[in-house]
Amino acid sequence: MKSLKFKPGLVPGVATILVSLVLWQVASLFFIPVFLPGPLYLLDLIVEVYSDPESYSVIWKTLVRIFNGLVLSMFIGTGIGILMGIKKHFESFMDSWIMVLLTFPAICWAFLSVLWFGLSEMAPLLTIVLVVFPFVSMNIWEGTKALEKELVDMATVYRADRVMMLRKVLIPQLMPYIFSAMRIALSLSWKIALVGEAFGVSSGIGQKLIYWFEETRVDMMLTWGLSFMVLMVVIEIVVFRLWERHTFAWRHKIAN
Amino acid sequence: MSEKVTAVSIRIGSIFVLLILWHFVAIAMSDAEILPTPIAIAYAMVGVLVEPGPEGKSAFFHMGVTLGRTFVTFGVAMVLGIAIGLAMGLKKVVEHSVMALIPLALTMPTILMVFLAVMWFGFSEIGSLVAVVGVVTPYVAVNIFQGAKAMDKSLIDMAITFRADRNMLIRKVYIPQLLPYIFSAFRFAFGMTWKIVALAETFGIKYGIGYMFFFWFEQFNMELVLAWIILFVILMLVLEHAVFARIEHAAFKWRPANKLQT
Amino acid sequence: MPTDQNNGHGNVVVSVNNLTKKFPDPMTGEEFVVLDSISLTVEKGNFASIVGPSGCGKSTLLNIIAGIETHDPSDGGTLDVYSHTDAEQPRVGYVFQNARLLNWLTVEDNMTFALESQKIPKDLWKERVNKYLEMVGLEGQQKNYPLNLSGGMQQRVAIARALAIEPDILLMDEPFSHLDEITARKMRFDLMEILMHSSPTILFITHDLGEAVFLADHIYMMSTKPARIFKHIKVDVPRPRKPEDPQIFDLEKELVKEFFSVLDAQEAEGD
Repeated sequence: MKSLKFKPGLVPGVATILVSLVLWQVASLFFIPVFLPGPLYLLDLIVEVYSDPESYSVIWKTLVRIFNGLVLSMFIGTGIGILMGIKKHFESFMDSWIMVLLTFPAICWAFLSVLWFGLSEMAPLLTIVLVVFPFVSMNIWEGTKALEKELVDMATVYRADRVMMLRKVLIPQLMPYIFSAMRIALSLSWKIALVGEAFGVSSGIGQKLIYWFEETRVDMMLTWGLSFMVLMVVIEIVVFRLWERHTFAWRHKIAN
Repeated sequence: MSEKVTAVSIRIGSIFVLLILWHFVAIAMSDAEILPTPIAIAYAMVGVLVEPGPEGKSAFFHMGVTLGRTFVTFGVAMVLGIAIGLAMGLKKVVEHSVMALIPLALTMPTILMVFLAVMWFGFSEIGSLVAVVGVVTPYVAVNIFQGAKAMDKSLIDMAITFRADRNMLIRKVYIPQLLPYIFSAFRFAFGMTWKIVALAETFGIKYGIGYMFFFWFEQFNMELVLAWIILFVILMLVLEHAVFARIEHAAFKWRPANKLQT
Repeated sequence: MPTDQNNGHGNVVVSVNNLTKKFPDPMTGEEFVVLDSISLTVEKGNFASIVGPSGCGKSTLLNIIAGIETHDPSDGGTLDVYSHTDAEQPRVGYVFQNARLLNWLTVEDNMTFALESQKIPKDLWKERVNKYLEMVGLEGQQKNYPLNLSGGMQQRVAIARALAIEPDILLMDEPFSHLDEITARKMRFDLMEILMHSSPTILFITHDLGEAVFLADHIYMMSTKPARIFKHIKVDVPRPRKPEDPQIFDLEKELVKEFFSVLDAQEAEGD
């Protein structure tokens, strides 16, 4: 474990956080809690909400949707990105469409998904996928532009078949791009999931948010919202630490 | 040269192919509530533009409202973001203090930010302003800060040895180096702002394109929802290309042409 | 190693006959000639070297043999590679100027990549990896990663990889040109030792006449733009050879003179 060296930035940083919390607490004294809850009040509410076992099924529903959306977006996005890198005509075809897709606000997809599939699981899933996959495609496409022809030629000389070429030559080179695409995709997916749930289904965190919004209960909304944010940040950090260590294990064996 | 022509014709061709495909799929499904034909949508779009809409407000009124909100909130968010970013670049204390709070700002989902802004400041212009500033300003600040960090010190030293005064330094050395960062932040932030404003209007800030999205969604009117979405996308694309691409081109005239592109 | 003596091609592995290769100019679309009526033969167990100034199309010839460059028959001439094993296609090993190793695989896995691609049975892998790593002087490096190795060592792995598939022909494209002179000298020596112990069939490209004279049995001298072979020499000096051997030295001097006279003639023609 590395010791925490005294970094000059630590003091103003920590001070800012503490001061903000104090100011927040003080400000909350001037308002009713349902309008501006203070940090301590929120903490109580969070404990209350998470003492109820039903809350966990709410979170679980949302996590499943995020996972499904993420996996599907990664598959579709990676496939399209690779195709764009390999076939010039496909690239010309897709790049304008991807640009168009990137301008679509998530809310439009949420509405369209509901109009198409009603209040079902398909609606938030479709919303997530349609918003996220263009970002993944762009990232992977960038990666294909960095592929080394020299290595492909070498493998061709040794008569590597398609599968070998993909597994041993192309995908390892794309890995850093797949990795960064996945970080963006995860970060986006959970935020879009909330939008998709707000309109598309009758369960999940997104639905809680819009419910308390309509009830004008800032306190309950923040309880669900902030706690979920913290959960997702932790998940992001854990997933990526683990994945990086596994996939890029070979890098750690290089004496730099 | 012929490669470029092929690329363009593929793009145009793809639009036609997709429209035709859409038409046939729509006819096969024959459920206007799920997939109206392109022709029906075209009619709907014309209707939207030509006739006065609900409450007698025309499409151009709504577009104007959304555009107005977008430009104003974007302007404020950009200026604030650039100011904070520069301050972060100049003073370490500012950098560390702001960076302590940035993760929160960047992680906050847009929908939550919009809800909070609206609940605290009402279904009003202030509400949409706060929402946009809350999401966009942190992003711009970080971008500009990175640009300030990346500034080439050797150029600054050179200017100082020539005894350039502060004014000259700012205008001729700092700003041109910051300009690429400002630009990339500009384009991305503008796109973000559009979407936030549309979202805020969906949730009840009166009038605007987002308001129309929700209005027709509530009525389950697929044709008009699609019509408005397409109008919105076209408007955004036109702005993107006609306006931003031109400005960027003019500002970066000094860059050599990309030798790698054919 | 089993030899197919009934394949009707005798001991010939590579046979190039009046091969012409044209390329369209990327700017104008016009075709210009890269290889002009090239003829050469490489027999089993021989070390043939093509010597010529850099950038004259030597690599193109190798790439056609290796199958990563195409030859349009209407351009003229033929090129054939004959297999002397019972594999369906001739096995081609290739050592490039850059080692072209897969940095994310171990040394061992880099070699088995080639073995697997060539459909060599899995039970032979370990034996081949060990044998050929030892032959290039890298025994024990199986589990190491390419980026931990020096340039010279990486190139040795590339050579071991090529040898491990026991190719019908081993192509080498200026393999030592990116190494420092001292490392390159050592590599040439080591290559000569390998020649003396096993008998690979090698087609070796270089711009360095000294290197060619030291290593090769047959030297084909090539002029540029378009590439033409203007002389073929047999080097009869027995191995092991020493670079300071007067025979080697004299031969090199003579070839250098020939080269310059050809280049001068070309210039005079206003080529």
